[in-house]
Amino acid sequence: MEQTTAISRPISAEVAHANLNRKFGMWLFLSSELLIFAGLIGAFILTRRNIFQNGQEWWEPNALSLALVSVNTFILLASSLMVVLGIEAIRADAQHKLRRYLVLTAILGAMFLGGQAIEYSLLIFEEGHSFADPFGTAFFTLTGIHGLHVLVGVIWCLMTLLVARRGTFSSRNYTTVEIFGLYWHFVDLIWVIIFTVVYLTG
Amino acid sequence: MADYRDQSPAHRRHTNPVLVFGILTIATILEVVVTLFHLPKNVLVPILLAIAFVKAGLVAAYYMHLRYEHWIYTVIFITPALFAVFLIFTLAV
Repeated sequence: MEQTTAISRPISAEVAHANLNRKFGMWLFLSSELLIFAGLIGAFILTRRNIFQNGQEWWEPNALSLALVSVNTFILLASSLMVVLGIEAIRADAQHKLRRYLVLTAILGAMFLGGQAIEYSLLIFEEGHSFADPFGTAFFTLTGIHGLHVLVGVIWCLMTLLVARRGTFSSRNYTTVEIFGLYWHFVDLIWVIIFTVVYLTG
Repeated sequence: MADYRDQSPAHRRHTNPVLVFGILTIATILEVVVTLFHLPKNVLVPILLAIAFVKAGLVAAYYMHLRYEHWIYTVIFITPALFAVFLIFTLAV
């Protein structure tokens, strides 16, 4: 039987107000991040266009790398679902469920990074691309910065899990989880665009 | 002490997240399938981008809960998002 915690202490007006401010700040941060990624994706598209116009060859994903990145996309979408289910669990004061979903989120995030590492090794060691060639510069910068965001997200998820283990969160106090969730979903949202622009529209 | 709780839309009935996940997965498969038809680029790219932006919109609306949040969050996020959509669309198409 699922163990739930009955403790759901009221929070003070100050904490409630501070939580609102933190959430507002997170949305502002994500808006600025959105502009950074818009610039990076725009730079990627322009680099690709320039290479086409110069008559040089551009990388096209083969069936293997397309399958790999499609699975990775599915993994990231599934991790977002885990975060949503985790937040729903804590809204119902189901702390055990929250912890379980956070563990699954961290595992799926790590799997995504593992898939990206395999993809990079295939590109570098099998196809001979480097960070210095025009394709490598555009590709590794865009996907690498996104990967860095996923790595930060995994670490953040584990930190949130550590706090959750202390029983800090409840149906009255879960903004910390929600703010982590906003970041994680944003990383997912950006990947949705990167997947299409980088792998499908080339 | 007054009974404060986080000012999140906690007690509204949200759209089933598993349903949203299903739609996102099907849309992703659809994107990959569309590329197999070898359509002209000026047709393929707008279709793919449209699907991608719909998917991103679903994530923002239902997973990030923008649909249920205060309108100020929507304004904060949608303003740069519209710029991003415009930039990517004009460069890619």
